[in-house]
Amino acid sequence: MGTNAAFESDAPPAVGIGTEEVIVVRDLWKAFGANKVLQGFDLTVRRGENVMVLGKSGSGKSVLIKCIVGLLRPDKGSITVLGEDALALDNDALDRLRVKIGFLFQSSALYDSMTVRENLEFPLRRHWIAQEGSDSETLVKEALENVGLMSAIDMYPSELSGGMRRRIGLARTLILKPEIVLYDEPTTGLDPITGKEIVELILRLQKKYGTSSVIISHDLNVAKLAANRIAVLYEGRNHAEGSYDELRAMTDPKVKQFFIFM
Amino acid sequence: MLEVGAVSRFTGRFFREAFRSRFEWRELVRQAYLNGYLSLPLVAITAFIMGLVLTIQSRPTLAEFGAETMLPAMVSISVVREIGPVITALICAGRIGSSMGAELGSMKVTEQIDAMEVSGTNPFKYLVVTRVWSTILMLPLLVVLADAIAIWACYIGVNMKGTVSWSLFQQQVFDSLVFNDVAPALIKSVFFGLAIGVVGCYKGFTTEKGTEGVGRAAHSAVVLASLLIFILDLLAVQVTEILGLN
Repeated sequence: MGTNAAFESDAPPAVGIGTEEVIVVRDLWKAFGANKVLQGFDLTVRRGENVMVLGKSGSGKSVLIKCIVGLLRPDKGSITVLGEDALALDNDALDRLRVKIGFLFQSSALYDSMTVRENLEFPLRRHWIAQEGSDSETLVKEALENVGLMSAIDMYPSELSGGMRRRIGLARTLILKPEIVLYDEPTTGLDPITGKEIVELILRLQKKYGTSSVIISHDLNVAKLAANRIAVLYEGRNHAEGSYDELRAMTDPKVKQFFIFM
Repeated sequence: MLEVGAVSRFTGRFFREAFRSRFEWRELVRQAYLNGYLSLPLVAITAFIMGLVLTIQSRPTLAEFGAETMLPAMVSISVVREIGPVITALICAGRIGSSMGAELGSMKVTEQIDAMEVSGTNPFKYLVVTRVWSTILMLPLLVVLADAIAIWACYIGVNMKGTVSWSLFQQQVFDSLVFNDVAPALIKSVFFGLAIGVVGCYKGFTTEKGTEGVGRAAHSAVVLASLLIFILDLLAVQVTEILGLN
């Protein structure tokens, strides 16, 4: 595949992972018409843990995290986030919960009518988190320095490359200091070097802010670098689970197919 | 029929959200600027041409009956009661409706609306309520401006083949206009503004199927809003007739 050279480091150590369960998904079902996407999927994420959901394109990975954050309503099952039943919350309570959850979209989803500065200020203006000695300008600059793109502060999204957009998206996701971050295909569409930079950035910022993460991807390089634990989603159900090395050692053909190019 | 139901539900949601705090004042002012202030040149030019053409084309018929002096009254009543509000609304349906459909449609297919929602911001309140309020508030103002410019163009038209002083012209206009000409026209322009805003936002907010869907949203927003303007105009005429305001 030619991408492995860029991804040489090992999975992150499992230090700093707590026992508190920040996301608990049980028996999740979701169908679109006759297409049953999720058929009883379970997921548990502990504080400080990076869990990757691995699956083929169209297997329902994005549907899963959209259910967790309330963009889609599952047909059946339960979702508990930070101790709250996410499916029982009213709109205001759900908005309050969402402030504690960051979501990095595959397309970055930057507001294209706003500059980078305005994109970062947008969540701040709505959910001001009082921090001693910090104003909105300071927080925006800190977020941009974190992703190494201070020079892009007055640029519009259309002037940014794919990798820059992903970094700005990450800065916007983290600016409210969420406790949990959901990453939807964070490296898809990027070259291996930029992909590795994004993963390293994710790990560095996770260490800095102590977030828990769910990473949705079909890219095993991301799994190798970032995941403490990997859940394989196959035909809407949990098919296998373990660390990168444990999955790689499995003889199950459905798991092995993901390692075909590794 | 399904679409009528969906637009009605969307309108109902607008009214539910429109009076709930928190209000997005900053975005409302920005939308009022984009949809109102930036529509001024187009509305003004169209109103000027409309007033002038109406005057020039009406003169021969009135002259045939020796009623040329009725020209200011006839044009001003036509403009204030009917042509001003409808033409202004149709121009806004084209300019504002298509831009709302395309902008929100583009935001929908690129997940920007989802991004807003997951950041804990109600996208309906931020994007739809502000846009619809802006058209409701701006359309009557644009109609008043269009009426004034069309009447001024009528003054120019009248003086192209004759001499009427500005003060006499004004007197003829104001003598002919009554409250029942102005108030129903302004009230119906509020509903035209509601229709343009709701349809533009609905089409954008429900866009599907990528860039093709964005184009379709912009196009169908204009078509549906224009159709609704004529239907609302017909209803307004019936209501004023029933209330004895004609």
